[in-house]
Amino acid sequence: MIVTQTLALIRDTFHEAMARKIFWGLFGLSTAIILFFLLLLRIDVVEGGVATMSLFGYQSQRGMDVERMVRGVHGSIATFLYSFGLFLALFASSGLVPSLLEPGRIELLLSKPVARWHLLLGRYLGNVLIVLATSTWLVGGVWLILGIKTGIWTPQFLLAIFTTLFLFCVLLSVVFLMGVLFESAALATMVPVALMLISPILAQERTVVKLLSSETARTVWHTLYQMLPKVFDIGRTTLQLVRREPVESWDPFFTSALFGVAVLTVAVWRFERRDF
Amino acid sequence: MSEFAIQAHDLVKVFRARWSGREVRAVDGISFTVEPGTTFGLLGPNGAGKTTCVKTLLSAVHPTSGHATVFGHDSRDMAARLPIGYLPENHRFPTYFTGAGMLDLYGSLSGMDSAARRRRIPELLELVGLEKWGDVRLGKYSKGMLQRVGLAQAILHEPRLLILDEPTDGVDPVGRIHIREILQGLEAKGTTIFINSHQLAEVEIFCRDVAILHKGKVALAGRVKDLTGNRGWRLVAAGVPEPLRAELAGDAPGPEGTVRFAFPDLAAANAALDRLRAAGAVIHSLTETTSTLEEVFVRTVKPQERTAA
Repeated sequence: MIVTQTLALIRDTFHEAMARKIFWGLFGLSTAIILFFLLLLRIDVVEGGVATMSLFGYQSQRGMDVERMVRGVHGSIATFLYSFGLFLALFASSGLVPSLLEPGRIELLLSKPVARWHLLLGRYLGNVLIVLATSTWLVGGVWLILGIKTGIWTPQFLLAIFTTLFLFCVLLSVVFLMGVLFESAALATMVPVALMLISPILAQERTVVKLLSSETARTVWHTLYQMLPKVFDIGRTTLQLVRREPVESWDPFFTSALFGVAVLTVAVWRFERRDF
Repeated sequence: MSEFAIQAHDLVKVFRARWSGREVRAVDGISFTVEPGTTFGLLGPNGAGKTTCVKTLLSAVHPTSGHATVFGHDSRDMAARLPIGYLPENHRFPTYFTGAGMLDLYGSLSGMDSAARRRRIPELLELVGLEKWGDVRLGKYSKGMLQRVGLAQAILHEPRLLILDEPTDGVDPVGRIHIREILQGLEAKGTTIFINSHQLAEVEIFCRDVAILHKGKVALAGRVKDLTGNRGWRLVAAGVPEPLRAELAGDAPGPEGTVRFAFPDLAAANAALDRLRAAGAVIHSLTETTSTLEEVFVRTVKPQERTAA
């Protein structure tokens, strides 16, 4: 029964997400990028270098290293997905909890033999799967087309799907907590986006700590950096993975995962205790 | 294991405002039982605590104290919700689904397997008269149609207990009769039906038992038949001498000189009848009078409001 119910919750989330045009926007944008590489960009490869490359019919001879070019494209796509794609996905997801908690809907869901944690996590899982599908479509599509056109197959690029999805999972827990606490789509967008924006600043810890004279300020900065999701650091790691460069540290993944699990636990705890 | 479909024992729910800390005692020590296979109406004016009471049974609201059971299971247990079908008031079904899609969703959440859903969904759509609307999005349904598909959702998994919050709200008279017929069919099959409604006339026709809530408490409970029956006796006579009319507290004579008397019981009516006959009055009729549920409701709620005032 639990499998049937989980699939139903995922299906409901998919239907609702598709009814929200913004997910179609993300999907459409991804499709446009894939079509761009499929139809408009023509590359002739000769002995490992780009002999001719044409864009919108204009030809250019660059003589550039084809592998370097592919890596550059992969890096750009990964950055696009990690920044703009992530923002759009969070924005599109922000209304999914408040809509679940609407009077007249939540009572009916709670009247079913489904545990409250199951209801919330079923929706969470549905939301994650939507973003997984969209990211796979974009990254997988570009990887496939560039691979076919250039003969360069770098599976590391596909890791961008998982690092982006990982960070989405972390930030989605904040979306869910805000949704459960305040039933506000606006807050559910603003808080995770604020975490995204503050992350590059907090990541300058080594530099900033030297400038801070107060020990308290240094401790606060360090604590915030350690506690909050490390969006910037994980983004840097994503690029390092895509470019096949050595990864400096995996710690940002562990601390961010801890943050996500803790926040999601609080969201479930609050949801379990609430009256509707 | 309890033999009752529902048993509420001293349920209390106090809501506290988040910031001001102000307390509202929505449910204040409610106890009642619903026997399996019966129809039960929960009545009360706005703010009486009906919806909070229903939500407590469904575990959408956690009681401050007391407890409720559904077929012997604590209402907070998931097992208590397995035999329940529920139609909320002011429901908000996901409009991105078609009628059949919505039924499939809630059927899955009720634990039905895909074969059972495939079999039951067309049956139910036909039962509620929406067989041609199964593939149409709910956003295009009228309020009455939403109510009917909502009822189909509530009975899809063949629940033993059906909890309906204003089931005929927004439905036209023909639709109401149709819904009543469906519910009567379910009652005949042994389904326990619990209705929370303002439609007193419907509850009077349909329910065997009622409880009237007022200010979070059960103000009156019992069988509809007992609550509305045998209010007293009415005697109509003509040619009644004025002193006797005044003594027996009769109404002023009507257009044909008839006078109406009211008596609390049959013995008093018979004694008066003998005296009227002896005084030469002509007896037109002697009939038993009953109350409507509405009159019982008003009599129950109004004095308490006056006391409170």
